Amino acid sequence: MTDEKFTAERFKLTDEKAALALDVLRQRLNRQLEASLEVCVRCGVCAESCHYYVSDPKPEHVPAYRAEQVRKVYRRLFDPLGRRSPGWVGAAELDQEMVEKLIYAAFGTCTMCGRCVINCPMGVDTRHIVRTARAMLTAIDMTPEGLKATVDVHLEAGNNMGVTEEDFIDTLEWMEEELQDELENPNIKIPVNKKGARVLYTLNPREVKYFPYLIQTAAKIFNAAGEDWTLSTVGWDVTNYGLFSGDDNAARTIASNLERAMADTGAQVLVMAECGHGYRSQRWEAENWLGHRYPFPVTSFVELQAQYLKEGRLKLDPAVNDKRVTYHDPCNQARNGGIVDEPRYILRRAVMDFVEMEPHGVENYCCGGGGGMLAMSEFAPARLAAAKVKADQIAATGAEIVATSCHNCLDQLDEIRRHYKLPVKIKNLSELVAAAIVWE
Amino acid sequence: MNKLTLTRLVAILGLVVCVAGIAFRLEEIMRRPYRKDLSRPRGDARRGLLYAFTLGLAPWEKESTRLHWLAYLRGIVFHVGIFVALLVFFASPWLAALPLVVVMAGTAITAVGAVAGFAGIWLRRAEENLRALSLPDDYLSVLVTSLFVTLAFAVLVWPASLPLFYLVSGVMLAYIPFSKIRHCVYFFYSRFFFGQGFGHRGVIGQPPGEYAE
Repeated sequence: MTDEKFTAERFKLTDEKAALALDVLRQRLNRQLEASLEVCVRCGVCAESCHYYVSDPKPEHVPAYRAEQVRKVYRRLFDPLGRRSPGWVGAAELDQEMVEKLIYAAFGTCTMCGRCVINCPMGVDTRHIVRTARAMLTAIDMTPEGLKATVDVHLEAGNNMGVTEEDFIDTLEWMEEELQDELENPNIKIPVNKKGARVLYTLNPREVKYFPYLIQTAAKIFNAAGEDWTLSTVGWDVTNYGLFSGDDNAARTIASNLERAMADTGAQVLVMAECGHGYRSQRWEAENWLGHRYPFPVTSFVELQAQYLKEGRLKLDPAVNDKRVTYHDPCNQARNGGIVDEPRYILRRAVMDFVEMEPHGVENYCCGGGGGMLAMSEFAPARLAAAKVKADQIAATGAEIVATSCHNCLDQLDEIRRHYKLPVKIKNLSELVAAAIVWE
Repeated sequence: MNKLTLTRLVAILGLVVCVAGIAFRLEEIMRRPYRKDLSRPRGDARRGLLYAFTLGLAPWEKESTRLHWLAYLRGIVFHVGIFVALLVFFASPWLAALPLVVVMAGTAITAVGAVAGFAGIWLRRAEENLRALSLPDDYLSVLVTSLFVTLAFAVLVWPASLPLFYLVSGVMLAYIPFSKIRHCVYFFYSRFFFGQGFGHRGVIGQPPGEYAE
């Protein structure tokens, strides 16, 4: 079934677990989900929209086939013919074999990137179906270990890497000192818990833990633009792996950390760092998980940088970035969030030679790092194999730098670079911007 | 009771089952909770809806239908054939009164539609992905609908085939609520949610934004 069979005891289906999983399906069955489960005519034109299929064309990689595994269980419960004549309409009991198929379909070969949704003539939302399957599996403790651990750590520590408040503050102070030295300006600040700042910024824990220079990058941009900003110890982690595990309770709790941070600082705008799923979670999903509207807008750092440039608050010298650059659209920002023009507006001002990969924007292929895939080592070989289409896209551009605005994409693109031996560097969009700042 | 009356009754019975079954399905989906999106809009959901039901259905608008244009075209031709066959069904008591040009147009459309329908069955067997995806219901649904279109064609050129047309119509209509043919109802829901959702997020159907160059 998978590259590493799920043999642990918790992956054994009991009657109680089966009943619980089916209850989750019943509870989550809303109008949107039912329409997507009912409308598929199994025409198969979605096949090439999936990077798993393009890289390894086999029926199991067709999005409709994947969603069909959930439909089988749905039909057994809700379809009159599915109850009486299951074979005729492809209905099936939720047994051990079906659970294994669901794990493979929902966690192992789908990043919930939404490319098949855009390409479906009927409008089937496979993202929604797959996330429902993940919710069913998570409810019965069948989430792959790495993804489960990421969510658990976030719930316990307030961030997904267990960074302590002391380490967080130390890192910020260290970065502030270095930044002041580099720019020879003691007034450059990385504010923390500043009350009444306009912008509350967020970070990915991997920035604090492994790539602290990216904190400097954001700080440079904010300082150059004269922004009134702050970070908060109440909540600062941009990520929310509850989106990927399908666990709405966890997702709700995690999302509320940033809401509390906004209340604590009194900031006006919540700005999500360059993190695709973090942006999607907080911008588009969180209010639905929480059941109320935020009294503040949520925006992405990409949108904010474009705004600074448009308003003339940020001056860039593209000559600093003279190598050919291409841009990888994170699915959760472009296809699932409409942020397509902004990164291009930025890159045309930040670099000398910008070239598009094909296809790009809303139709861009997923890099394979979405859906929590990087946290699920069980599926790593399949993830890298499915990234061949992305490697081909990059190679065709002749670019020396691949820019993106998502940490999961960044990690996956770097793995693609090594695996497919691509002569490119992978950079955050803001890195290119920060390098090109003309300080006044 | 003669053959025509009997088969007409079968057709009417099929229609009753169809309407009742669809009403049941509609009642069922409307009973489900509607997930209202509480997030702030980035785009205009109404423009997304307009796109979803108009330009968004054009074969050149999606990579999938650009790649599979022949399969998509086959589907469109088949469905146009079905709509015309339904018109033939409801107009069947007054077929003799129809102008010749209408009959000729209907004949041509149902003929091509029927061929497209049967081609769909062949494709399901011939193509590996479709074979893996297909269920017995898929074959019966396409077969009974293709026969329905074929017999609509037959009725237009040979009115004596009306009893057989009624018989097949009754079977097809009764089968709709229980089979994948019911996608004709859910299509409007799923395209609605697609257009509304992606329009709300500013992904589809929007005018150029302030950063477009």
